[in-house]
Amino acid sequence: MNKAYEASNPGGPHAAVTAQTGAPVLAAKGVHITLGGRKILQDIDLTIGEGEFVCVVGASGCGKTTLLRLLAGLYQPSEGSIRYRDKEMLKPRQDVAIIFQDYGKALLPWRTARGNVALALEAIGAPRATRDARIEELLAKVGLPGEADKYPNQMSGGMQQRLQIARSLAQNPSVLLMDEPFGALDAMTRQGLQDEVLSIARSTGATSFFVTHDLEEAIYLGDRVVGLLANPGRVAITLDVKLPRPRDQLTTREDPEFLRLRRELFDFIKKAEA
Amino acid sequence: MKPSRIAWFFASLLVACGFVMLWQYLSDARLVSPVFLPGPDRAWAALVRGITQGELGARWLGTIERMIYGWLLASFAGIVIGAFIGSSERARAYVGPMLELIRPLPASAVVPLAISLLGLSEAMVLTVIGFGALWPMLLSTVHGFAAVEPRLYEVSRALGLPQWKVILKIALPSSMPDIVAGMRLALTVSLILTVIGEMLASREGLGSHILISARSFRSADLFAGVILLGVTGYVSAMALTLAESRLLRWRESH
Repeated sequence: MNKAYEASNPGGPHAAVTAQTGAPVLAAKGVHITLGGRKILQDIDLTIGEGEFVCVVGASGCGKTTLLRLLAGLYQPSEGSIRYRDKEMLKPRQDVAIIFQDYGKALLPWRTARGNVALALEAIGAPRATRDARIEELLAKVGLPGEADKYPNQMSGGMQQRLQIARSLAQNPSVLLMDEPFGALDAMTRQGLQDEVLSIARSTGATSFFVTHDLEEAIYLGDRVVGLLANPGRVAITLDVKLPRPRDQLTTREDPEFLRLRRELFDFIKKAEA
Repeated sequence: MKPSRIAWFFASLLVACGFVMLWQYLSDARLVSPVFLPGPDRAWAALVRGITQGELGARWLGTIERMIYGWLLASFAGIVIGAFIGSSERARAYVGPMLELIRPLPASAVVPLAISLLGLSEAMVLTVIGFGALWPMLLSTVHGFAAVEPRLYEVSRALGLPQWKVILKIALPSSMPDIVAGMRLALTVSLILTVIGEMLASREGLGSHILISARSFRSADLFAGVILLGVTGYVSAMALTLAESRLLRWRESH
């Protein structure tokens, strides 16, 4: 196992992470960020290719969420740059959607499911006449058909998160940034939504960036798993996940390669904490 | 309506009837001179006579009109100014202490100033109503805008909503519960100040009606005016409750 760890991490903790499948969509180059006088992230180099699914793991406080916010354009780096298809990311873009962990705060409680999806359509200026059909389509896609007239507080946590996903899809995103989206959900709901996200990423061809603290979730979803270390946050390990797609909750998780990666990642985390 | 709610409604009705009967008994027993305390029978007769033959109906309408104009003026100004102050942390820090200083001033204290500036005019009465009702409106709007979930601002940024749409689509509806609570308080204040303004400026309304009736010892007419004021306050509060339950339907949890 140790050999594999070394092999995938030849340049030590500061190695550039460049393995990718398609043309680069999002790229962090030499990114440092200091917030409130504290260095949160140091020397981050990360390139995400077209259609790639990248998962980021790490202990809490290692800067996973900060990295996502940088890629979203919600924060600006103190040093270095974030690029979206060779354009500098100076503010959030409508084709880069964010799915927040706290769906309860990210949804508008005074709007129904329909109204919440409509917000994104209003923002991108979708023609009024097409909105209703588009909303129905999106709600059906995330598994909420017939729930259009419910308010968020009438829905379960899993349904609310599905609704947030539907709203982000209404932006026609080419990139989906997900910040521990299933962290607050129970195990069964979680697995259902993992498969949902995989099928959405596959059908829309969206490039995905997924933050989680669940190592198995990261391996199950990702083409690549990036492990961060804290104080200051930096890329410490990169694993390419060569598991066949479409993935399956039972067979994928029993695949010897899945178990090998799981072991490697757990060893890394244990070592990092020691 | 649930059976228990209907039962409570009838119970409260019974209490009201009991109160009227007690009033009738006290006036019939002449514990207080009828010059000062008419029974409900005489008050009701004065009310019917005043509306069918006298000016009472017109005065009532005058009072309602003033109250609503003053209230709308205060509500509109309160929401606009409150939105500006509430959505900027810096503005809150600058203006907050001054608002807290002016707020506890009784609105009736500005009446002499308003009279010296505007005379005993309709504009003076409306200014006093608007000024007094502005504070509850302003403070609750500021609170509502300051309490908007920060995550929703991030959602707005991610969606690329322009600033005015953020205010219209996010901040304003999010502040609606506070705004409605402020409007409720402002309505009560408006009614009080309408009556005071009418009494001081002798404008055609229930306030002046009550004052003149008292001065000429027509206690039945005075009570008729008071009853109409009670009805006005009650009905307007009910209407606002109805509007609130429609506007804030999303708050009902299931």
